[in-house]
Amino acid sequence: MKNNNRAPLPGFLGGLEPLSRRGFLRTSVLAGAAFTTGCSSLFGRREAPETLEYHSLNDDEVEVITRLTEVMIPADRYGLPSSTDVVPTIKNVDAMAQRMPPQTRELLGLGIWVFNNRPMVSFKFSRFTGLPDDKALAYVDAMQEGSFFERGLMTTLKALVALNYWRDERTWPGLEYHGPVTELWGVRRLGNAPLPRA
Amino acid sequence: MSETIVTKTANPGGWQATGLAVHQASDVVGERIEIQADVVIVGSGAGGAVSAYELARRGFKVVVLEAGAYVPSKDFTERFTESLDTLYQDHGGQTNSSGDLLVLQGACVGGSTVVNGCVCFRTPDFILQDWQRDFGLDELTTAELTPYFDEVEKNLAVHENGEHEIPRHGRLIRAGANRLGWSVKPLQRNIRQCGLTGHCLSGCKTERKQSMLVTYLPWAAAHGAQIYADTRVEKILTENGKASGVEATVTHRDGSVAARMTVTAPRVIIAAGAVQTPLLLLKSGLGNRSGQVGKNFACHPSLYVPARYPEPVYPWRGAMLGVYVDEFMHPDKGGFVLEDGGAGLVELTMAAEPGTGEPFMDYMANAKYLGGLVTLIHDHNVGTIEWDGERKKINYQLSDVDFPSMQRALKAAARLHLASGAEEVYVPASDNRVIRSEADIDEMVDTLENLPQHLRMVSYHPQGTCRMGADPDNSVVGSDGQSHDVPGLYVADASLLPTSIIVNPQITVYALATRIARQMA
Repeated sequence: MKNNNRAPLPGFLGGLEPLSRRGFLRTSVLAGAAFTTGCSSLFGRREAPETLEYHSLNDDEVEVITRLTEVMIPADRYGLPSSTDVVPTIKNVDAMAQRMPPQTRELLGLGIWVFNNRPMVSFKFSRFTGLPDDKALAYVDAMQEGSFFERGLMTTLKALVALNYWRDERTWPGLEYHGPVTELWGVRRLGNAPLPRA
Repeated sequence: MSETIVTKTANPGGWQATGLAVHQASDVVGERIEIQADVVIVGSGAGGAVSAYELARRGFKVVVLEAGAYVPSKDFTERFTESLDTLYQDHGGQTNSSGDLLVLQGACVGGSTVVNGCVCFRTPDFILQDWQRDFGLDELTTAELTPYFDEVEKNLAVHENGEHEIPRHGRLIRAGANRLGWSVKPLQRNIRQCGLTGHCLSGCKTERKQSMLVTYLPWAAAHGAQIYADTRVEKILTENGKASGVEATVTHRDGSVAARMTVTAPRVIIAAGAVQTPLLLLKSGLGNRSGQVGKNFACHPSLYVPARYPEPVYPWRGAMLGVYVDEFMHPDKGGFVLEDGGAGLVELTMAAEPGTGEPFMDYMANAKYLGGLVTLIHDHNVGTIEWDGERKKINYQLSDVDFPSMQRALKAAARLHLASGAEEVYVPASDNRVIRSEADIDEMVDTLENLPQHLRMVSYHPQGTCRMGADPDNSVVGSDGQSHDVPGLYVADASLLPTSIIVNPQITVYALATRIARQMA
C-alpha cells in the first residue's frame, strides 16, 4: 500500500500541475530551494567525475548542465576544486533528477531544453552550449534580469549547480568553512532537561 | 483485528536522561491499531508538546500523534542539506503557490522547535492590545499572560545572550546600531550552555537547544504520555456533534502504509502548525462555520541580507543569532525587526544574486567576510491555506500594503550593515543589486517591484489560519482554544494568532498552549 500523502521525495514534487507555463514556473522556482534535498545521500561523495555514468540526465542535458557549471563556477581560478573535474557537480544533479517523480523530471528536462535553446533568437541562433564564455555569461545575466518566467528558471538552474558544488566537503577548506563540528570539537551531550519542579 | 504497537524503545516510565520513547512505523506489528485515550494531540511541536505535558501530569491519558519521523539528537548531521531532507516539512520544499516564498517548518518529533534558531520573544503588548480591541480577546492581557511567559521561559532556560553568545556578526551589527543611535539588544534564547556550533537549523546534536524533543516531550512521556511518530492524522472524528477522536495512518519512510489507526478520545487538540492544522479541519469538514479556517495566513516573510565586511566574519561560527534591533518594531515606527544571522555555505549560495561566473565566485570565495541580517515584518493576514482534494496550496503573495514595509526593512538593513563597516550589501533579489554607500540605498531598493520571483523570501513563522476570537462568526476558536463549533476540539499552535506578531512566535505558542491545557483540565 502506498500513502499518497507522504511521498519519500520533496512534497512539492509530487502531483504537480499538468505541464503548463505556470506549472513549470512553479516547479522550477520551488526547486531552487529544495534541490538541496534531492541527493543528500551523495553529500561529500568522492567519485571521480571521469568514471561517472549518468542515469537520468541525457547527453544533451549533461552538456547543458556541464556548460552552465563551467560558466558559473570557474573554481580552479580561485584555488578551489574544479567544479567539473574534481567535484562531481553534474553527477550530483543527475542523482537528484533520478529521484524526481516522472512529471517533475519531465519538467526539469523541459526547463533545461528551454534554457539551452532560447538563445537562438537573441544570441544569433546559437544554443547556450554553443556560446563562447562571454556570450554565455551575458545570456545567463539576461535571463536573471528577465521576465518572471526567465528569472524563475535561471534562479533554479543556478541553485541546482551551486548547491551541488558547495555541498561537497572538498569545497569547504578553501573557504575555511568548518562543516560539522560537534564531534570534532568533542562537544558534550547534555541529554534531556530535568523535569520542572512543581 | 486490533493490535497493540510495541516499540523497540519500550517506555520504561519515568524521566529518561536521554532520548525519547517513541512508537515508530518500524515497530508496528499489525495492520489496525485502536487506542483509547482521554486526549489525543495532533502534532508534537511547540503547542502539542506543551499540551501533552500539562495534561499528562494532571493524570490524563495522553496520546501524541506526529506525522514526521523521530530523529534522535545524536543522529543530527550538522549538514543543512541533509537536515532539510530529514527534519523539515516536504523535505525543505514547502513553498507558496507561486514558488517565491519558502515556508520552512519542522516535520519531525518536536516539530519546528527542533530546527529553529532558539530566539524567544514574549508577545508584544501592542499586539495583545490589537487582539483585545479587534477580536474581543479581552482575557489575553499582558497581566494574564505574564505568569505563563515566566513559567515557560524558566522551564526552557530562556536567557539573554551572554557576551560569549554574541557572534562576530552580532558584535559588528551592535556596533553599527550604536553608531546610528538605534536600539539594539542581545536576543533571548532557549538554550543551555550553547555549544556555539552554528548549526541550529540542523537541530542541536548535543541537546543544548531546549526544543520540545529534550524538554516537554520527555517530561510528558515521564507522566505516561504515549508518542507516535510517522503517524499522520487524516480525519477528526465526532459523535453527536462533539469531538470523539481521530483516524490516522502510520507510514513507513518509503511511503508504504504500516497501519491504520483510530484513537478514541473525548478531547482532540490540533497542534500541527499553521499550515497542517487548517488542512486537517478542512479535510474533516469541521469547525468552519465562520468560514475562517485556512484564511488569514500570515508568515513574517523574511529576507536574509548578506554584506561583505573588510575583515573576516565567519558567519557560520558561534551562535547563529546574537542581537536584534527593535528600533522599528512598533507598527508606527515601521513594524519590522532586524536580527543578525549566521549562515553556512549552502545557505549563502541562495541568499543573493551577485552575478554569474567571477562575480559569483568572488562572492562565495569571500564567504568568510559575509555577515547577515534577517528582516522580519509585521505582515497582514492576506494568505490562505487550501486543500484541493489532492494537495495543499499555500496562497500567499506579499501584499502591496506590506511591500513598503519590506522595502523599509531592507533599507534599514542596508544602512545598518554600512554603519557596521560593510563594504558591499547584497540585495536579496533575483537580479544583481549591490549597495556600496548610503547613496545607493534608495535607488537599489525603490526600484524593486512587488512581483513574483523578485525577492528571495523565506518564512519561518506561519500563523493565523484558525484564529482566536470572541465572535464565532469571524473566528475559529475562543481564547481557550476550543472550537466555536465542535465541543472538545481544540487548537493549540500558531494557527491561533489573530494577527502576525512581528517577532519569533515560539514563546507565544508555549504560553497559549499552557493556558489552553490548564483551562481544559
